[in-house]
Amino acid sequence: MKRKVGALEKVDADLPNLQHKIKTDPISYQDDFVNQYGLYTSIHELFLTSPTTTDDTGLVRLRDLIDFISHTADCYPKIAGTFPNDLIKLLQLHHATLEPELRDKIVGSLVLLRKKDMIDSNTLLNTLWPLLVSTPSKSLRALLYQKIVSDLRNSNNKATNHKLNRSMQTTCYNLISSDPASPKGIWAVKLTRELWKRQVWSDAKAVSIMEIAALSQDAKVVTGGVRFFLGGDQEREDAADEDSDQEEKNISMGKLRHQAGINKKTAKRDNDLRAAAAKLKRKEKKKGTPHPLNFSALHLLHDPQGFAEKLFHQHLQPSQPKVRLVLEQKLFVLQLVSRLVGLHKLTLIPLYSYFLKFLTPRQPSVTSFLASLGQATHSLVPPDALEPLVQKIANEFVSEASAAEVASAGLNGIREVCARQPLAMNETLLQDLVQYRKSKDKGVQMAARGLLSLYREVGAEMLRKRDRGRDAAMKVRAGDVGGARRFGHVEGGGIEGLELLEQWKEEQGMEGSEDEAAGWEKWDAQSDNSESDTGWVNVESEGEEIDISDSEDEREKAAAKKRKIEVAQRKKSDKENVDGDGDAAADKPAAEDNTSAAAEASERTTASLEPEAALKREESRISTLATTRILTPADLAKLQELRQNAALTHALPSAKRRKLAAASAAAQAARHTDDAVTAADIAGLAKLSHKSTKEEKVRMAKGLGLPNGATEDAGANDHRSTTARRKEKKAAEGKSTTNREKARKKNFLMTLGKAKKKGKRSLGVQRGILKAHVERGKRGGKRGNKGQAGGGS
Amino acid sequence: MSKITVAGVRTNVQQLLQYSNEEKKRNFLETVELQIGLKNYDPQRDKRFSGTVKLPRVPRPGMSICILGDQHDIDRAKHGGVDAMSSDDLKKLNKNKKLIKKLARKYDAFIASDTLIKQIPRLLGPGLSKAGKFPTPVSHNDSLTDKITEVKSTIKFQLKKVLCMGVAVGNVDMTEDELIANIMLSINYLVSLLKKGWQNVGSLTIKASMSPPKRLY
Repeated sequence: MKRKVGALEKVDADLPNLQHKIKTDPISYQDDFVNQYGLYTSIHELFLTSPTTTDDTGLVRLRDLIDFISHTADCYPKIAGTFPNDLIKLLQLHHATLEPELRDKIVGSLVLLRKKDMIDSNTLLNTLWPLLVSTPSKSLRALLYQKIVSDLRNSNNKATNHKLNRSMQTTCYNLISSDPASPKGIWAVKLTRELWKRQVWSDAKAVSIMEIAALSQDAKVVTGGVRFFLGGDQEREDAADEDSDQEEKNISMGKLRHQAGINKKTAKRDNDLRAAAAKLKRKEKKKGTPHPLNFSALHLLHDPQGFAEKLFHQHLQPSQPKVRLVLEQKLFVLQLVSRLVGLHKLTLIPLYSYFLKFLTPRQPSVTSFLASLGQATHSLVPPDALEPLVQKIANEFVSEASAAEVASAGLNGIREVCARQPLAMNETLLQDLVQYRKSKDKGVQMAARGLLSLYREVGAEMLRKRDRGRDAAMKVRAGDVGGARRFGHVEGGGIEGLELLEQWKEEQGMEGSEDEAAGWEKWDAQSDNSESDTGWVNVESEGEEIDISDSEDEREKAAAKKRKIEVAQRKKSDKENVDGDGDAAADKPAAEDNTSAAAEASERTTASLEPEAALKREESRISTLATTRILTPADLAKLQELRQNAALTHALPSAKRRKLAAASAAAQAARHTDDAVTAADIAGLAKLSHKSTKEEKVRMAKGLGLPNGATEDAGANDHRSTTARRKEKKAAEGKSTTNREKARKKNFLMTLGKAKKKGKRSLGVQRGILKAHVERGKRGGKRGNKGQAGGGS
Repeated sequence: MSKITVAGVRTNVQQLLQYSNEEKKRNFLETVELQIGLKNYDPQRDKRFSGTVKLPRVPRPGMSICILGDQHDIDRAKHGGVDAMSSDDLKKLNKNKKLIKKLARKYDAFIASDTLIKQIPRLLGPGLSKAGKFPTPVSHNDSLTDKITEVKSTIKFQLKKVLCMGVAVGNVDMTEDELIANIMLSINYLVSLLKKGWQNVGSLTIKASMSPPKRLY
């Protein structure tokens, strides 16, 4: 009897063992499996008759058997054919009443069966998804969500599984569209956002899910959808960056190889090295593959105009909205609408009058409203819709009486609007606002200067004569009024700086096609090394500086070696007369090269007198170069360089000039119409001029941050000492104080008695104390391990 | 292909014209299109580009144009034999989306007088700009015929949801040199628009409406 019980127990305990054996040799252990499977079916049936009343041991046994079978079922697909369906039914019918551990086990087993290809992804997702949406249990939801995401990622790992994606996306879409008022849609939003971030779903269908979410009638779903459009792409980019960073960090082949040469050679180390090499190879291969096409979600919208209109009319406009959104959520919606309007140049006239009532300094988060207004403006907005807004901002925000932050926010807001639609401003107002550049406050000053420099570029004739600045004044005098002053005018783009390139080519005497081939030399690498090329040679001709890089020299070598020597000579002569005397330097090469260049110089002087003639000349030039030759990569690089040089005033010293060029290039790269305007742009430098009150300082010291949710970087405003910060950091890490620190911090009164007595000790007592101290040291402290060691032995 | 040469473009254009004008002459004026495939281009990081450029020759002479104007411009348009509409005509559309869409589809481009153009968004709503046909302004000082040729010869590069584009750069009635000039200018302009220049260009192909495509690059 005793033996039998033992055997039974053994079988029970040996499920893992049996599992292992089955995996190595399925055929010989078939009978064992059939036995266990029979056991499982009987317990399962028993359980089905009374799912709620089954006792603990029954549950445990059921769980173990499910685990066992799901691990081994793939070896006997015929016998265990109905097993997945059993599990699915069990889960679907009883998920609300099942014991949590068993329930999780069933979910896990289903995923395992999917991994072993006993069921397909579709079945799995069709089972798990409805549960996720309907179950009241939080832990189950978390588990299901995680499993669904990982399954979708896995099935899209090697190649995109279009079929599965489509069915899942349809399910998500239907979930929201069938009942727009229910909060369940949040799961569709969450899933889509996660998969978008992981670049699993990056198509228009995923975007349309979010589109319908943003138009639904539940506040959370709406915010989820809207936030996706505002931040989803950034998130995706960050995630991609993180991935690539990780990969780069953990492989350095050289180091591994070095280690392999030094350390003991083992099979494992060999394998490691091989694996690393393979990974590196894979990475190299990945570099060559075409870049994944990731369009931003805002660009993938099917009908941006319709979407923006619906969003506006549904969430912002109505007096009796279907969803009640709090201000913060409304701001999100407004940000999205305005972003869409600006990006796609939509026509949504009522939006601008909607802004009108929010543009007062007392409005909470008014900077966000100003930013939204800025990004809702584009070149096709009728100026008469914007004029009242600009006027109102100027009246409400910008005055001598208003606070500096308010005034600078107003000025920045106006600048953002006017940068996109310069016609929104009238002359008197502009001249008035520009006066604020004399303000005492830094933020206001900078904001007014921004506005001034903007109008120097786009509409200098609106400024007062003394505000125009040299370049703009010269432009106005030459009659070169930008076409931007006409509504609807589209600048016919030419290739900027092409005439400079042509001129340069003429000077270099490089016509014809023999240099064309040379221009393509090593062009793939050119963009990388053009900056780092050393040995820039400055050649001054006609008072204009032109740079020749090494690569150009090479080209010349092929064309005419003679010229290179000339260039070198000229460089020498330039160095001799560094500071100016530009005319002499200019004349020399011109005389050397050809007389035509000199003739051109005289032409240029006349050209400035007759702007129209100059314009015509330029036009004809553009057409000759751009229509007869193809710009080689070398030409393009040169073009870029010439453009930069020409844009700057020649009077400046070269170091300053370079700095200016870099700054303007950075500004160009940073600001693009595709980019959003943020509240921080509007607030500008206001935070620098902000003097905190006493209460605010106290709050800061306590570490409570700024009042009324001002978003400022805490690190920048941390006034505490380094020690205090270090201490806090230590406390945050959960580290306790050292004995030294304790001694130092001990209350003075507590130490007083001992200190007093110390001087009055008798010699004998003193000796005893010293002896005890030495002994204690030997023992290893008060609670030294001497006693323990003694007990042990 | 590693590079593009003027000579290569010339032979391709010759073959193209040969095919369309002699081998298989069609009963209509074939348009020559430049098709562009981009590569190594991340539409999100590199930002999307768009730009217009005026070609030396009108690529599509048959383009239909409508003038939306005040009385002065309507008279001028009638004189030149161009379709014209007044602001009252536009008001009659009554912001009806279908009618506006129909209008946008009927013409290839619009020109509006300076006085009227500011009202266009209010009068017609998003219809025209949605179709990418927002009018070009013309003032009373400009010559209307010049403006019309300018509009006709201006082409637009715009990236949509895919990384390839096609623009009409000419027709088979043009001479070889005219066609080459148009093609060169468009290619040069496109390349100057791209951030990494030629490294972003995957392929360049020219093709007449009914001809086989000729790959340039």
